[in-house]
Amino acid sequence: MRVLIPLLLCGALLSGCASRKKIFPYAYEQHDFPNGLRLITVPTDYPGVVALYIVVQAGSRNEVEPGKSGFAHLFEHMMFRGTPDYPPEKYEAVLKDAGASSNAYTTDDHTAYHTTFSKEDLERILSLEADRFQHLEYSEAVFRTEALAVLGEYNKNSAQPVEKLYEVLRDTAFDRHTYKHTTMGFLKDIQDMPNHFEYSRQFFDRYYRPEYTTIIAAGDVDRARTRALVEKYWGGWKRGSYRAEVPQEPPPSGARTNHVQWPTPTLPWVAVAFRGPAYTDDQPDQAALDLISFLGFSPSSELYHKLYIEEQKVDSLEAENPDRVDPNLFTVYARVKKDSDLAYVQDQILATLSGFREKPVEKERLEAVKSHLRYSFALSLNNSQAVAATLARYVALRRTPETINLLYDQYARITPGDIQRVASRYFAENGRVIVTLRGESGK
Amino acid sequence: MKLRTALLGLSAAAMLNAQPKIIEMPSDSPLITFRVVFQTGAAADPEDKPGLANLTASLLAQGGTRALTYKQILDAMFPMATTVSGRVDKEMTVFSGTTHVDNLEAFYKLFQSMLLDPGWREEDLTRLRDDAVNYLRVSLRGNNDEELGKEVLYNEIYAGHPYGRHNAGAVSGLKKISMEDIKSFYSANYAQENLTIGIAGHYPAGFVSRLRTDFAKLPARAASRAAWRDPSPVKGLRVTMIEKDTRGVAISLGFPIDVRRGDPDFPALLVAQACFGQHRTSGGRLFSRLREARGLNYGDYAYVEYFPNGMFRFEPEPNLARRSQIFQIWIRPVEPATAHFALRAALFEFDKLIREGLSQAEFDRWRNFVSKNVNLLMRTKSADLGYAIDSAYYGIPAYREYVQKSLAGLTLEAVNAAIRRHLQSRNLQIVIVAKDCKRLRQSLLSNQVSPMAYNSPKPAALLDEDKIIERYKIELTPSSVRIVEVDSVFE
Repeated sequence: MRVLIPLLLCGALLSGCASRKKIFPYAYEQHDFPNGLRLITVPTDYPGVVALYIVVQAGSRNEVEPGKSGFAHLFEHMMFRGTPDYPPEKYEAVLKDAGASSNAYTTDDHTAYHTTFSKEDLERILSLEADRFQHLEYSEAVFRTEALAVLGEYNKNSAQPVEKLYEVLRDTAFDRHTYKHTTMGFLKDIQDMPNHFEYSRQFFDRYYRPEYTTIIAAGDVDRARTRALVEKYWGGWKRGSYRAEVPQEPPPSGARTNHVQWPTPTLPWVAVAFRGPAYTDDQPDQAALDLISFLGFSPSSELYHKLYIEEQKVDSLEAENPDRVDPNLFTVYARVKKDSDLAYVQDQILATLSGFREKPVEKERLEAVKSHLRYSFALSLNNSQAVAATLARYVALRRTPETINLLYDQYARITPGDIQRVASRYFAENGRVIVTLRGESGK
Repeated sequence: MKLRTALLGLSAAAMLNAQPKIIEMPSDSPLITFRVVFQTGAAADPEDKPGLANLTASLLAQGGTRALTYKQILDAMFPMATTVSGRVDKEMTVFSGTTHVDNLEAFYKLFQSMLLDPGWREEDLTRLRDDAVNYLRVSLRGNNDEELGKEVLYNEIYAGHPYGRHNAGAVSGLKKISMEDIKSFYSANYAQENLTIGIAGHYPAGFVSRLRTDFAKLPARAASRAAWRDPSPVKGLRVTMIEKDTRGVAISLGFPIDVRRGDPDFPALLVAQACFGQHRTSGGRLFSRLREARGLNYGDYAYVEYFPNGMFRFEPEPNLARRSQIFQIWIRPVEPATAHFALRAALFEFDKLIREGLSQAEFDRWRNFVSKNVNLLMRTKSADLGYAIDSAYYGIPAYREYVQKSLAGLTLEAVNAAIRRHLQSRNLQIVIVAKDCKRLRQSLLSNQVSPMAYNSPKPAALLDEDKIIERYKIELTPSSVRIVEVDSVFE
């Protein structure tokens, strides 16, 4: 199947066309291979460079067995440990010869491998990546050593209180779903990782399959040539059959709280969370919560003005409403300047959220947020790697850039009434989770 | 790219006419990018008020104008999704922002008034001073061991020199800074002769002359500054240990080097850096031997230029051009039990690099890598403008061409000779952030054997190498290893 989406040319971002302009501005081609692999090719107007993102729809959400938290992330590390044809040194040599910038990351729902390089190296890189996705092979000794690098990563992150706050928030909010743990995983599981070599092989066998994978090639690329190269190097990859049974979280059973006592002096934090919906582009709820996160807590919000600029009680205030495969958390975070203001700030956040239930927002404010989102998206696409990176986040959810257009259409349609309805539905005490963090008293 | 006027180093600034320099990169992109760089920064801070340059820039980028409060600016910027960011380094202060062409007029009006007509409100100063103090005490000192270690290293390398203070200042100095100090710093240093404006995108005809007219409001000349003096070299091996209750041990080390972009050996050192441990690149020697082969930590890197905020970035930021540069090794946090071994392993690899240089195969690979990788550094227009401004500062051609042309004529012998000329391990500043520094200090001073234990079988060659590393001598004396409590850092 091949779908070519034409570039829509019209005037300014917010006006000009009779029909609404699509937010994703590039003409892309989406092609499905018989083995289930999908290729999305996006020629951009940035010359000379190609950004390749390979998105696997498996992340820490897929860590369904107890004691295996953090495995998707460890596996991302293992993907750099070589194949019979390309041991790590040879793999690195090819990347270096291409002058490539290369890395990978893991999230709750997906893992992405990305490489940015000069366009003349496209075939070499596609062939190299096809080899490791199909023929990864590493010894137990190498696996055990790499597990220590993951512990090193935990160690480097562990100095940050907000990482701990986030870890405890997730653990407190979820009972059954794998979102209970962060992508990094529980420390005890990380320390035990070296003993699970066989599980790592199983993880590869289950998820590193074409039907879980989408290749995004953005930049100075030719659609037909890229398609032919992917067919040549990835066409023989065998489809798998595994489907993870991710335990679903039961409905919330009452408000929850937790506290982190940080061992050294630091500023206090509060995280106020509510159970939100799963990502969707065909219902307004997720889009409305996105808008609320800006209406209530962005630098132009009333609360930000009050707490950061006027009263100067916090030095950080933000809300996140992540796009996830399964229902996740809408969370407001604040770093407070004085311990004694922590309760006040928490109350202010709760009052702001209640406010959305109690009265409709002004239409003008709502339109400002919609405008912000559209321009913010346009400004983010300032190079080919950024285009591919943005697509990767959405492709991980719906395997098509079209979901971005649908989501922004949802934003455009949201009314003050939708905001009020969605706030009433999700900001209920029953599903509330509050976690605070305080440091040792110090300067 | 059109570079209308070459910008020279500060020492030659007086020879320039006082017109702002303008770098234009017109294109069809609807995204219009501004990069406004003043050739002034933290090196101009008064001795008793470090952080003044930074607070001045913060007040411009995150404060109100005469006509608008900061709240009103945020409200006006929000629907356009634009922001103005400001950043101060020792010699450069950069303000940048990007807008969609739909909003060019509204954005530019705000941008220029923020830089040219600041409001100097006390409440903005109070807020931004708090932010600076919290950044030093909490974000850096409290919450980020590796960035803390690196920032202390930068200070220690330049102890007693204007470069030897954190760009954000120190808590006691910040508390002394008044609005009058800030206004004076602004009028003394924000001058047309110090200014370069970069603009990229599909901006209308005539826009550049408007920039020129608007920025002519600034005084023509800056106040004179103290004469430059070269930093004193680090003498011998020095260790600063920061005592902190933390899980891992973060290690950084380095010294000033006398090579900068434009010097004959700079391209050679770029190749050496790539081979030894280019930032966030796997495959360098440090990364391969410490992380990949031994699992000591998450990564290990080396630099031939100052590179702040490495934890948050994969590539260097432009507009950190300086008159003195540093060589640095960054060892990401290791388990306490392996800290002494990790430091030894890094020095072992460093000495080997100095002694043996690169092989022909390494030279071929890494020269090719640097030559192509430079294309990726300028993938955004903002970075492209920034590199152009830096190249003008150093008096070199456009950075990409400079690197690629220099590398084309480079030889293995030249790289190895440059390594021997500029890199050495006898005079080094080492910074370690750890819990129980006393024990580690004792271990270092007594050159205690630090054997490695692994959770899996290792090749005989690696175990043989470990036998050398576990006893690798680091020449320290009690007076060269000091412990400081974390609470005293940046105070």
